[in-house]
Amino acid sequence: MSDNTPILTTNNINIWYDQFHAIKNISISYLPNSISAIIGPSGCGKSTYLRCLNRIHEEVPGARATGEVIYNGKNILDPNVDPVLIRRNIGMVFQKPNPFPAMSIFDNVVIGLKLQGVNQKQKLKGVVESCLKKAALWDEVKDILNKPGTSLSGGQQQRLCIARTLAVNPKIVLMDEPTSALDPIATGKIEELMQELKKEYTVIIVTHNMQQAARISDYTSFFVLGDLIEHGTSSQIFTNPKQQKTEDYISGRFG
Amino acid sequence: MNYYQIQKLKSHFFIGLLYFSAAFVLAPLIMVIIFLFLKGASSLNIDFFINLPKPVGETGGGMAHAILGTFYMVGIGTIISVPLGIICGIYLAEYGKGKIPTCLRMASDLLTGVPSIVIGIFAYTLIVVPFKSFSALAGGVALSLIILPIVIRSTEEILKLIPGHIREAGLALGLPRWKVIYFIIVKGNLPNIFTGVILAISRAAGETAPLLFTAFGNMYLSYSLTGPMASLPVQIYNYAISPFEDWQRQAWAGAFVLIILVLGLNIFSRMIVNRKQLF
Repeated sequence: MSDNTPILTTNNINIWYDQFHAIKNISISYLPNSISAIIGPSGCGKSTYLRCLNRIHEEVPGARATGEVIYNGKNILDPNVDPVLIRRNIGMVFQKPNPFPAMSIFDNVVIGLKLQGVNQKQKLKGVVESCLKKAALWDEVKDILNKPGTSLSGGQQQRLCIARTLAVNPKIVLMDEPTSALDPIATGKIEELMQELKKEYTVIIVTHNMQQAARISDYTSFFVLGDLIEHGTSSQIFTNPKQQKTEDYISGRFG
Repeated sequence: MNYYQIQKLKSHFFIGLLYFSAAFVLAPLIMVIIFLFLKGASSLNIDFFINLPKPVGETGGGMAHAILGTFYMVGIGTIISVPLGIICGIYLAEYGKGKIPTCLRMASDLLTGVPSIVIGIFAYTLIVVPFKSFSALAGGVALSLIILPIVIRSTEEILKLIPGHIREAGLALGLPRWKVIYFIIVKGNLPNIFTGVILAISRAAGETAPLLFTAFGNMYLSYSLTGPMASLPVQIYNYAISPFEDWQRQAWAGAFVLIILVLGLNIFSRMIVNRKQLF
């Protein structure tokens, strides 16, 4: 289903925290079944931008966004659109692994479905197995599904969180520095996993790690202080950047 | 003496100081328990728990009515205040910005600071005066006012410890906020919330002043909501100031039972939390 119609388009996104203008006029299109990375120095607004793509930015008091995020032909920033329904299609994985407290591994994966009213045991079991397999965690936890999710290691917890996100069957998965709290081995596993996820989902990832962006992504956007400096295919951005700032940043002279 | 020896000496000195402070804090508690044990345990027997007071002059008898009364009235206070307190606490933790939550928080803090005798007077005016009778209900209501602010504040503090990204993770699954709060945040922290509840209950179980002129006390077994009812603290108070040696002995026994009850509740609640370390 890889075609050239964007699955998600942002037009002139501006985001403020009270008076602070954090994101300025950003317009990017995302193609289905691709991995797009957002890189940039700390405080450049990359997480802020990512968080407005499923309207989770509204959780921060004082944050407001203007412009358009077009998904399925609709502007999801429209106040009449229910963010709850948006988030079922646009899931999110966070920086710190955050399995839900006092919940088993099994329940952590299916909680989203359960609370949407899906109760058939067989169906839930199937979802747990398929999602944990997609998250490359099944073999490690298939015998301990009743243990608390918080008992796993950090890397396993993060893959559990990915499985939890996949369980509600989103089309797009947003990842906010998903490996920054993990060691290199766990990071490697998650990066491998993303290549698999790309076959079924569209992934947009914020990362601090330029090598990571170069390794895993098809497209890269480079942000500085709320401005989009450059957007292009990752091979172009990392080998032949058009902007001087991009070149300085990726070669380590700035940021 | 060289530099490292001086540092070592300093370190020993401050560690010693810490031990001393700890002992200073613990000593009164341990002394109270030992003292009550020595004075009260000898009068403690099965009669004390199952019998009613005997007329003055006869030996024996017990405080069954007061023990039951304490459970009964603390129960009333719990039923009134714990659900309300937990709901208020959740509200403050999850929607705690703005004027109404700020007022609620301040009101609950002020209520914590109201002397318990004043709470007794309040329940007296509210219930005893219109019904023209001391009653277990008035006692329960007075205790509920002791329990309420403690439950509100402890629930709020516990829920505030949960990092915001856990709530966001729930919302990011496409769940409405109330489901995230109820099924993920609150249910995931029930043991901790429960601890605050037990601490509040154990605090109420030891209160005398709110019961003095609400439940008043009696010398017989009563289950009536509208009649006066005995309680351990008030019974202890009445017996302790009586001139009869036998009653004074029973007051000591009652005090021992009360402190074991309160201590037991506290230890029990801490065990629940330690068994379930959630983060």
